[in-house]
Amino acid sequence: MQANTTIIVRPWNAATVILRTTIMSLIIITGYAFTTFNTRDVDFWAGVDMLGSNFSALLLTPYLKNITFDVMIRNLFITIGLGFLTTIFGAAIALGLALLAAQNLAPRWLTVIIKGLTAFVRAVPTVLWVLIFAVSAGLGSVAAVLGMTFHSAGYLIKAYAESFEEIDNGTIEALKASGANWWQIVFQAVLPSSATALLSWTFLRFEINFSTAIAMGAAAGAGGIGYDMFMASGFYLNLHEMGAFTYAVLAFAVVLEAGATRYKASLRK
Amino acid sequence: MPLLHIAKLSKRYGTDKYALDSIDFTVATGEFVAIIGPSGAGKSTLLRCINHMIPMTSGDVLIADASTKSMNATQLRAHRTQIGMIFQHYNLVNRLSVIENVLHGRLGYKSTAAGVMGWYSNAEKQQAVEILQNLGLSDHMYKRCDQLSGGQKQRVGIARALIQNPKLLLCDEPIASLDPSAAKIIMDTLKDINQRLGITIIVNLHQVDVAMRYAQRIIGINSGKIVCDAAPHSLTPDIIHEVYGSEAGELILDFGEQHAHA
Ligand SMILES: Nc1ncnc2c1ncn2[C@@H]1O[C@H](COP(=O)(O)OP(=O)(O)O)[C@@H](O)[C@H]1O
Ligand SMILES: [Mg+2]
Repeated sequence: MQANTTIIVRPWNAATVILRTTIMSLIIITGYAFTTFNTRDVDFWAGVDMLGSNFSALLLTPYLKNITFDVMIRNLFITIGLGFLTTIFGAAIALGLALLAAQNLAPRWLTVIIKGLTAFVRAVPTVLWVLIFAVSAGLGSVAAVLGMTFHSAGYLIKAYAESFEEIDNGTIEALKASGANWWQIVFQAVLPSSATALLSWTFLRFEINFSTAIAMGAAAGAGGIGYDMFMASGFYLNLHEMGAFTYAVLAFAVVLEAGATRYKASLRK
Repeated sequence: MPLLHIAKLSKRYGTDKYALDSIDFTVATGEFVAIIGPSGAGKSTLLRCINHMIPMTSGDVLIADASTKSMNATQLRAHRTQIGMIFQHYNLVNRLSVIENVLHGRLGYKSTAAGVMGWYSNAEKQQAVEILQNLGLSDHMYKRCDQLSGGQKQRVGIARALIQNPKLLLCDEPIASLDPSAAKIIMDTLKDINQRLGITIIVNLHQVDVAMRYAQRIIGINSGKIVCDAAPHSLTPDIIHEVYGSEAGELILDFGEQHAHA
């Protein structure tokens, strides 16, 4: 019937134009970059070869030289402690404020104010918050704790509030209709219904805070295994020692992941 | 003395047309009233105005001749504790056990702290167990609610309402999500509660035949107005037609069958 008309499956509209322009620009920029790298006359294959030997030094022959195993483990726990503490502080602050940021629990004007403020806190990167707090607290662990707590709270307020908003409004309605007040509804319906979601977000934030804590050890002088890594790479230029630290961090990450998975499964039962 | 008097109740959402338009009726203690009408007629709105889950625009709801129009927070709570509510989607806290959900019905009577901590007296726990036994749920007391069937969940919803020791039970389409046999159990349960405990029941229903079988009185609503208020046996196809408007065709078939069975 319509043999002569072309059927357009994906019509041109603003969205497709923007998408295609973006992809084309990325391709052109990538091509341009590769043809104009300043290689300082280093041979490409020699570079690949060196990368390989560096990685094998790092990953295949790890050993400790400048610090003992005990000290490394102690410093790993300092880093874990920094990540843990800032997550707990952030979670405690977030739990209270998220109740006031959830649209099904608080008046709209209040949720808008709190969500706006936390969006600002999150927009500034963690490292920057640490540096901002370093102005008054001095560079070190105090600034790291304050800055990381601040950003964690901003992140978790949003995550928790969205978890609260996702729960079935019917249960809130039912308890309200039976005469329960706000606090009773929060503790008897909202928190039990969102417990696993809150826990998932908190674990995720702990993972983020753990890796941030490594970086802060080096960048903000907060100590821990991050500082050891900074010394091994920048001061002793020892890739083998760096490898040992990498494995220590990796081991903890695996333990954390396994623990989190198990704990969540047990909650779900 | 009437238990409930709805006096010229109107409700308007924003600037839409009136969802309830000057509704006026009285319910005596112990009545079993069904409210029927097409979807969007205003049935849910009406029930939620009675327990002030939705603020009314004008008119009044009187309980035992006492106005409920302007209540402070304490009075509102006291008002709601006297009225149990049952929902189409049960509205239980799925992660909690059956008995915890039933005990939620006591929250309105408790201090904030006791409610927050979930401290219930032995008498309250005892009552919860008895109600669950009467509803045939004693085997499921410690199960999580998400492990129950729809019919069982609705019985938990009824138990939660009963433990309030309510004078009035509002049921918003309690059987709309259930299969016929579970629906029958729920309707029989409501009938039993009405007759044995003398609790007044107002139930929103979609199915005319169910309303005719169980209710003593049927109020038909269309576009926020009462179009009929009568005993089931005095309903005629013409009246049903007026309640349901153009949707009525197939309903009249049900209606004919109902009379054939009766
Ligand atoms: N929260 C709301 N906001 C705006 N309009 C609503 C709201 N709830 C219900 N309505 C409108 O009010 C009318 C009655 O709705 P409802 O009481 O739910 O009817 P029923 O329960 O009989 O299906 C409908 O027109 C519906 O669209
Ligand atoms: Mg409805």
